[in-house]
Amino acid sequence: MKGFSGKGKGKVPAGKAVFWAAILFLCLPCLTPAPGHAEAVNRGSSWFVDLKAYAEAAHGTLTCEECHGTMKEGDKKHPNLEDAAFLKKEASRVYDYGRCKTCHRNSYERYLLGEHAKALKKEREREVASGGPSTGEKRAPTCGDCHSAHYDRSHLSKVEIGREMVQVCGTCHAAQAKTYLENYHGKAAVNLGDDNSAYCTDCHGAHHCVSLKKKEAALRACERCHQEASANFTQFVIHPTVQDLDEDDREKRFRVAVIKVISLIMSILVIAVVVFFYGHSFLWLLRDLHERLRKH
Amino acid sequence: MAGKSERQEAYERFCVLHRFLHLVAMLGFTGLALTGFSLKFSAQGWAQAVVFLLGGLDHVRYLHRYCAVVTYACVVAHALWLLYFKFLLKGSLTGPQSLFPRFKDLKDLFQHMAYFFGKGGQPRFNRFTYWEKFDYLAIFLGMNTMGLTGVVLWFPEFFSRLIPGYFVNVAQVLHVYEAIMAVALKFVVHIISAHLRPEVFPLEKSIFNGKTTREKIMREHPGEWDVICRGLEETGSEVPSEKL
Repeated sequence: MKGFSGKGKGKVPAGKAVFWAAILFLCLPCLTPAPGHAEAVNRGSSWFVDLKAYAEAAHGTLTCEECHGTMKEGDKKHPNLEDAAFLKKEASRVYDYGRCKTCHRNSYERYLLGEHAKALKKEREREVASGGPSTGEKRAPTCGDCHSAHYDRSHLSKVEIGREMVQVCGTCHAAQAKTYLENYHGKAAVNLGDDNSAYCTDCHGAHHCVSLKKKEAALRACERCHQEASANFTQFVIHPTVQDLDEDDREKRFRVAVIKVISLIMSILVIAVVVFFYGHSFLWLLRDLHERLRKH
Repeated sequence: MAGKSERQEAYERFCVLHRFLHLVAMLGFTGLALTGFSLKFSAQGWAQAVVFLLGGLDHVRYLHRYCAVVTYACVVAHALWLLYFKFLLKGSLTGPQSLFPRFKDLKDLFQHMAYFFGKGGQPRFNRFTYWEKFDYLAIFLGMNTMGLTGVVLWFPEFFSRLIPGYFVNVAQVLHVYEAIMAVALKFVVHIISAHLRPEVFPLEKSIFNGKTTREKIMREHPGEWDVICRGLEETGSEVPSEKL
């Protein structure tokens, strides 16, 4: 027989019960991922399409031909038996995203002006120079790397889009997503669903994707919400991380270092003070109990 | 005094203002901790539940600032009282019976710790023991630093005109760590040492009704009792010598 009151062999020791209760109430709340972060987004532009999910998505009313053309176009056979390796290529690398422009003209043109398109251009040049597909963890994104043409849904709220966005951008910019979520903007926007707060694109632009390393650009981004912002205001560090930071960006490296050092000093101080006083209280309680029990 | 036994003579330990300020600061601090931590730990379900129950992020933000203003008003009121005590009542803010830290507090701390391990007796505490002084000073100084960093976070546009923008980051770091320390100390250490230890369990009422007894002073603050006995009010101590 198991139970706290049970006598005999099956009795659960109080220590064990306390241990599991502590795990349950103290550890689990932090270890459990917060809602809204955990669900994996069905990303990816693959050769295989789940038509049921496709039908529910934003493009669900389009026929395949509207984006992919008919099989009779050009002089290529479809499927092209002479270029079987084509099928092994990544769909998001070979699809001609110029076709998105037909409907999404603004987005497409902004993308061409933005940092991601510049990075893609450089990557293509490198590929031509080296003669093979570029490898490495971070590659410049095409439309299909951020958006799923087959599965992304429409009519989402700003908060829903924003939460998904942090995940999508975070795939490549992990440190930025993490620091954003530690920042007040991220906590308000993603965790608490405050649509007045800023998501990634509210500062960096949806398709321009500017880095905001230039002060003037940063100030314009801040000013959209903080009308009183001054040049100094842009020194505020939203992403205290050195990932992707230029080696010669001394100024920001210095600020990040200051923030990290102060955090470290403060955490040592807090731990030292708390450990000392908790120990003090604990010993005091033991002594008081000892005195009490001895008197009676 | 007529209705009470001779031995239960009541003394006033805390005046009305101090009791009131303690009560307001206590409520304000709890409100600050609740609203502040539900923003800090907003990734977790309980925090989201608190924010929902309080009516959304905007309300939580408002409540945090409301509690901050009320709590800081206590600091201002107390600072004014200190001036009043010093200049009109001609009291001493640094004497042995005051809350000012003295070398004796360090000695008391070591002696008390030795007592925990069964070596020697308890120190002869004055009107305020070392842990009471720590509680008081930590809150008094802490509220000022929390207020200062908090106000920077409240008006970042204004303050970034005066100081570099990344000082707002620094203010944020200091605000968060100090909040964690304050909550860890006040809600655990202060409550144990002031209320929950077997000697005073379950509640030390004197901070709420101001009253203490002769026995209590003799037992907990023998140094203060000596002063009362010697009738040395004019030494500039903060002694509540008037009997109720």
